[in-house]
Amino acid sequence: MTTRTADRAPAAKRADIASREWKGPWRRYDIVKEGVIALVVVSILTVLLAGLFSSPDEPPLTFQGWATSAPDNFYATAVQELAGTSTSAGYGPPYNTAADGISVGPLAPQQRFGVTHPVDAANDFVITPLRSQLQSADVTDALATWDSASSDQQTAWATDYDTALTDADGDATKVADGDYGPVPVLAQGLTDMASAGALDGILMSQGVFYQTDFTKQILFLGDGSYLDDAATAAHLQGNTWGMMNETGSYPGQAWLWLYSFWYQIPQFNSDNPDDYLTSHADAIIFYIMAVLSLVLLLLPFIPGLRSIPRWIPIHRLIWRDFYRTQPKS
Amino acid sequence: MDPIYLAGVNDPATYINWGWLSISVPNLIVILIMIVLFALAILLPFPKGRDRS
Repeated sequence: MTTRTADRAPAAKRADIASREWKGPWRRYDIVKEGVIALVVVSILTVLLAGLFSSPDEPPLTFQGWATSAPDNFYATAVQELAGTSTSAGYGPPYNTAADGISVGPLAPQQRFGVTHPVDAANDFVITPLRSQLQSADVTDALATWDSASSDQQTAWATDYDTALTDADGDATKVADGDYGPVPVLAQGLTDMASAGALDGILMSQGVFYQTDFTKQILFLGDGSYLDDAATAAHLQGNTWGMMNETGSYPGQAWLWLYSFWYQIPQFNSDNPDDYLTSHADAIIFYIMAVLSLVLLLLPFIPGLRSIPRWIPIHRLIWRDFYRTQPKS
Repeated sequence: MDPIYLAGVNDPATYINWGWLSISVPNLIVILIMIVLFALAILLPFPKGRDRS
């Protein structure tokens, strides 16, 4: 049949190239020797460069540092945790059920996997830490009042105070009078605890003895401006190629340039966080990179793309000695 | 006692901004070194071994 004949011709040509006898020079090659030399050279370079430059030594961000440098912001964030209006409290899966999570078309991984790492913002970040230490009389009374109130009452106190504090531009001394229950005292108690350095250890000690899970600390830190400001100062924000950068004057992850590139497109980082592409940027960019990775993986099977080496024959430069002896096709 | 390093690189890096592109000088140096190594790997001749034939 005509079709079969047409298919067979290029296949036979390929087989011919593969079975052609090597006419170029031969020499011995020891891959183990090369590997050992590479290992020794890289080891020496590593020791030399580590001695010369050391490694990034950025002081850790702590709750004490936050509450000391920006007490108003820490106080306001504590109120938001109680009211359930912080970013983490309203995030949805895998931390809580406050939202559905991000979905793109039929792909909704947050809903699919559900709440796998439960975080109760009010209790985990405020009430439990306060309860874990001996408190002053007013904080102890505030905790008792909070505990004896219904869930609806707690939410009403906290959301009313959160709104009033926002209206007062975060200045607790200018909040309008109202029924806020024990919320102001609880928030101040937590701010005092954090300023004294006690909150860092207490949040760390929740869970198992040897703690390696810092999810709660990072979520709480991320709800305020402290972490965000530190990231901006260190050029680590996503919309300024931060994914590629490192603290200090160290080189960062330059190989993440393509992943970072998408976040520089204005549609993915607009000033309006409610824009679809901006609010779904993480998910959409993840899918873009997944598709591009598949393209790279399947490159030998994609017509056109697989012919790039023929159009840009860099391999002919590398093996120029061989191609010099070959007749031009 | 604080450690003494031959070269202190914990100070903030210098960033080069060109329109929407922003790159730190340390990253730029590493990228340029990679490009130079790539060019050298292509252009330098293979070391001559003992021919078997």
